[in-house]
Amino acid sequence: MSTHDPGSRPDAPAGGPFGTLVTGTYPEGPADPVGRGARTPLHQSPRCEGTGECALACPTQAIEVTGRGKGATFQLDYGRCVFCRACVDVCPTGALIASADFELSVRRREDLVVRHGAGRAPPTYPVDQRKEAETQARIQRLFGGSLAIREVDAGSCNGCEVEVSALTWPRFDSERLGIHFVASPRHADALLVTGPVNVNMRLALEKTFRATPSPKIVLAVGACGISGGPFRDSAEVRNGVAPTLPVTVFIPGCPPRPEALLYGIWLALGKLEQRVVQGELPTAASGTPKR
Amino acid sequence: MSGIPMEGDVPATIAPSAPVPPSAPSPGRKEEFDWVGSFAPSIPIGDDAGRPWRLELPSERWKEVTLTLDRALHHRLASFWAEHWTDGASRLHTLWMGDASCRGIHLITVLPAGNAGVPSLLPEIPAALYFEREMREMYGVEFLGAADRRPLLLHYQHSGPPMRPGTSPPRDARAPFAFPITEGEGIYEIPVGPVHAGIIEPGHFRFQVVGEQILNLEVRLGYTHKATEKRFEGRSPSLGVLLAESVSGDSSVAGAVAFLEAVEQALGIEVSRSAQLSRGLLLELERMAFLLGDVAGIALDVGYAAGAAQANFLRERSYEGLEMVGGSRLGRGTLAPGGLARPLASDMGTPLAETLALVARGNEELLEHLLSRPSVVDRLRGTGEVRTDVARALALVGPAARASGLDRDVRRDRPYGAYREVAVRVAGERAGDVEARLKVKVAEIAEACRLASEFQRAGALDSAKAPPPLPARSAGDGLGVVEAPRGEFLIWVSVGEEGTLRRVHVRDPSYLNWPAIEYAVKGNIVPDFPLCNKSLNLSYSGFDR
Ligand code: SF4
Ligand code: SF4
Repeated sequence: MSTHDPGSRPDAPAGGPFGTLVTGTYPEGPADPVGRGARTPLHQSPRCEGTGECALACPTQAIEVTGRGKGATFQLDYGRCVFCRACVDVCPTGALIASADFELSVRRREDLVVRHGAGRAPPTYPVDQRKEAETQARIQRLFGGSLAIREVDAGSCNGCEVEVSALTWPRFDSERLGIHFVASPRHADALLVTGPVNVNMRLALEKTFRATPSPKIVLAVGACGISGGPFRDSAEVRNGVAPTLPVTVFIPGCPPRPEALLYGIWLALGKLEQRVVQGELPTAASGTPKR
Repeated sequence: MSGIPMEGDVPATIAPSAPVPPSAPSPGRKEEFDWVGSFAPSIPIGDDAGRPWRLELPSERWKEVTLTLDRALHHRLASFWAEHWTDGASRLHTLWMGDASCRGIHLITVLPAGNAGVPSLLPEIPAALYFEREMREMYGVEFLGAADRRPLLLHYQHSGPPMRPGTSPPRDARAPFAFPITEGEGIYEIPVGPVHAGIIEPGHFRFQVVGEQILNLEVRLGYTHKATEKRFEGRSPSLGVLLAESVSGDSSVAGAVAFLEAVEQALGIEVSRSAQLSRGLLLELERMAFLLGDVAGIALDVGYAAGAAQANFLRERSYEGLEMVGGSRLGRGTLAPGGLARPLASDMGTPLAETLALVARGNEELLEHLLSRPSVVDRLRGTGEVRTDVARALALVGPAARASGLDRDVRRDRPYGAYREVAVRVAGERAGDVEARLKVKVAEIAEACRLASEFQRAGALDSAKAPPPLPARSAGDGLGVVEAPRGEFLIWVSVGEEGTLRRVHVRDPSYLNWPAIEYAVKGNIVPDFPLCNKSLNLSYSGFDR
């Protein structure tokens, strides 16, 4: 656990209620490495032989392998991934490894899709960079000091709620960053939406959005909030937040760990840079993948 | 296998998922045996070791036999579900479980296509209400004589019962739903939700109140319904694990274990002892984290912030413990048919032992701090009372049942996996109020720490990756019953000849426990509602799926 005194992990003596400081420093300081599972699949194309076993093992069809053998095209959508590691476990060539990356949030949905191999055509999207920079500057000016969030569960399994509420507990304590969770959309600057947006919650979600004063931002949380996750294509769900509301930032995970949520919130505020571009993970870019 | 039942664990024609140790025939098992035997040979009786007795009733005898069971055995209704066949016939299943050692009774009846329905089990069996409402809307099964015919999970109109094949998505028209009305001078209504004030799940509460006192509460659920049971259909068992984890994400491990127990029973897959120990360890770590969250919520709702911070700190350490050994904070993606998805972290023995000791100590202190503060106890004692007779009639499970004087815990009554090796000390209180539920939960956190240490010492961290499972057969059905943090979590699966899931029935503990809150709040003041709510901690997603 990173603390204000880096290097010492403060174990509250006897677990006393008023023990030592346990608050972490992330995102201002580094994230705590203790016990952090490596669950993010990372694809290294030179080793890929296009067997397609990963695609069969994936419970959310996040992976698509077109063609077979060395020339195959590999595509992975981190917006559908639930970070179960099944693909890594079955990959016979070691092309898929597990990294501990969690700073995966993006502003554009397309940036969560990585595509490798023959016929690689990186997704293109129109970017009006000036307009985007202006929006970012405005969000930061308005909300950078303090952000009031209303959490809306739009059909989640409640796994995401565990991690969102962990932000308010001693270790992550988002209030220290001016991030607080409010009881009414009338008091909110941001909606943090979990769940696949099911039919029975869509109206309530829309009404909550309308009840939130503008300007406002929307965070789509978890595999469900981005793509419908495990429930994708069920007749009762709408495959994520984007078909219903304009999304500012997508935060992958199932559920996203609390640090990943903090990263996504700071990314929305323009306080941190987006690290994943066209699906390429930061560790892949720095060439030091962790196992 | 059909035939005349014989006492004890007879040799199975179908190998059970794990060896069942010979247990002394208990009085409960003897009673079950006698009751089942009284129907032979007029009713075919299934007797496979490791499974409940199975009786296939003609539909005319459905209610009569059920009521004799209720009277003769004092079993509780554990679950009630339907499945559908391509020829249009529906099969209805009920499952009955006893307290203390039991095998359970599984009643099945077939309703041919175009049938008029079966008699409702209400009013004699109050716990059947939600099940019947759900089967009516999902499968189109008629329950004759039922008074409450409102929808349960569906808020919009459908072209037909959606669990039947070939039905289209919901239409835009909302289904009508009537709340009960209480009228009189000074009575007013408080509607709450679906979007609540905290970081919690959605549901709608309609209170009728006079002054500060709650006269009546009606809960409307279904807001998180996503047709999870239907999503299972056609998947391979390995790909179904994620959905089982996502029934109620805060009990991911329990959901996965219940599902896997069912699949392993259906297909006759063996699980090694070390993998069972690992599952036991993950289950107990999950229980610790979960129940500490409940304690934190109760402390917060009485305004004791320091206690809540302590509980949440310990909860965080428990999730760290889960991540240390399994790689995921909620224990997701760690299990697979036949065992584990990958070995647990064997090098984490020392930090895990430290975490368990820290949580055990901190939990003990926490209870002292909470119960030594008169301002805390004053809010808890006598609040949100669920009497024993109400708890029994509603067939409550888990800590909520144990705090109301019902002595039931699957880990002891129908031990599975690693629990066959340990003696679980089941907590219990009689008062049925928030204080009783708090005490039960704190005791269960302590017991979870103890069991986790025991599993660790027995080698839970030394498990290997599951070898590819070797199913003894390609199709079949099976039942998984697990004590989740909220109580008995039950999954029934039917695997078709192609090896894919044909029907999966999920019964989260909250399905049985939700009605308890409507009783708990009666006569309480509105500001105590959050306490009643937190102490029962009901899963919306588990109910709605
Ligand atoms: S880790 Fe992600 S991509 Fe890999 S199998 Fe799991 S869900 Fe699919
Ligand atoms: S993203 Fe995963 S954890 Fe979050 S609600 Fe969906 S299934 Fe649950």
